[in-house]
Amino acid sequence: MIPFASTGGVCTAIFTQDEGTILASLAGQVAELIEQAPTGDPALGRLLPHAYPDDPAAQAEFRRLTGGDLTARKAANARVIVEAFGAGHWPREVVLEPSDAVRWARALTDIRLVLADRLDLDDDGMPADGADEAMLAVYNWLGGVQDSLVRALDAED
Amino acid sequence: MSQTQEVADSRVDSELDRPWVTIVWNDPVNLMSYVAWVFRTYFGFSRDEAERRMLQVHHEGRAVVASGPREAMERHVEAMHEYGLWATVSRE
Repeated sequence: MIPFASTGGVCTAIFTQDEGTILASLAGQVAELIEQAPTGDPALGRLLPHAYPDDPAAQAEFRRLTGGDLTARKAANARVIVEAFGAGHWPREVVLEPSDAVRWARALTDIRLVLADRLDLDDDGMPADGADEAMLAVYNWLGGVQDSLVRALDAED
Repeated sequence: MSQTQEVADSRVDSELDRPWVTIVWNDPVNLMSYVAWVFRTYFGFSRDEAERRMLQVHHEGRAVVASGPREAMERHVEAMHEYGLWATVSRE
């Protein structure tokens, strides 16, 4: 991969086929997870956290007013990543206008939140004993992808 | 109006005016660079102020990032949730 860099408001990176295939797969799984909410999946508690953790009535009203729109936007954000890795040549150059770059940054966060739940990361970000090494490597790699995108966005304005 | 009455009234006023706040909580997933960028671009903080509040979240576990009417705080919290940050609404 060549990490994200920005020129004239556009963020660009290059992904190998392996990288793009993994990222698109994870983004698609996260979109499906969000669209199926509410389920008992604990990762949803972090994707759609409670605004009022100590007030169930206020929380229910908040979810009623915001939940549908928020889940739809989160799923759409993840699908922007899926679509970037559709049919085409590899390695893949990903070119993001500012609005899509922000959607990528949000979706990368959601993917990392789900992986962190699967890895059972503790409060210091350390994985549980016996955590899946391959998943941990992907999680750490995605942190680097996101950091490069944020720094590219940050340099633009 | 007596002095005592004025004091009592101001206490009632401060209770009614006590603002709602948006709190962002620390989590082990979100990158420091990302949290500072969200604070700067969404709330319009300067780079220094965004960095200061991000570090407050990181070191103290939470930071108040906005205060005002409840409806506005709920909009901020919803926006933070779309960014993947862990945010709550409460009374200051």
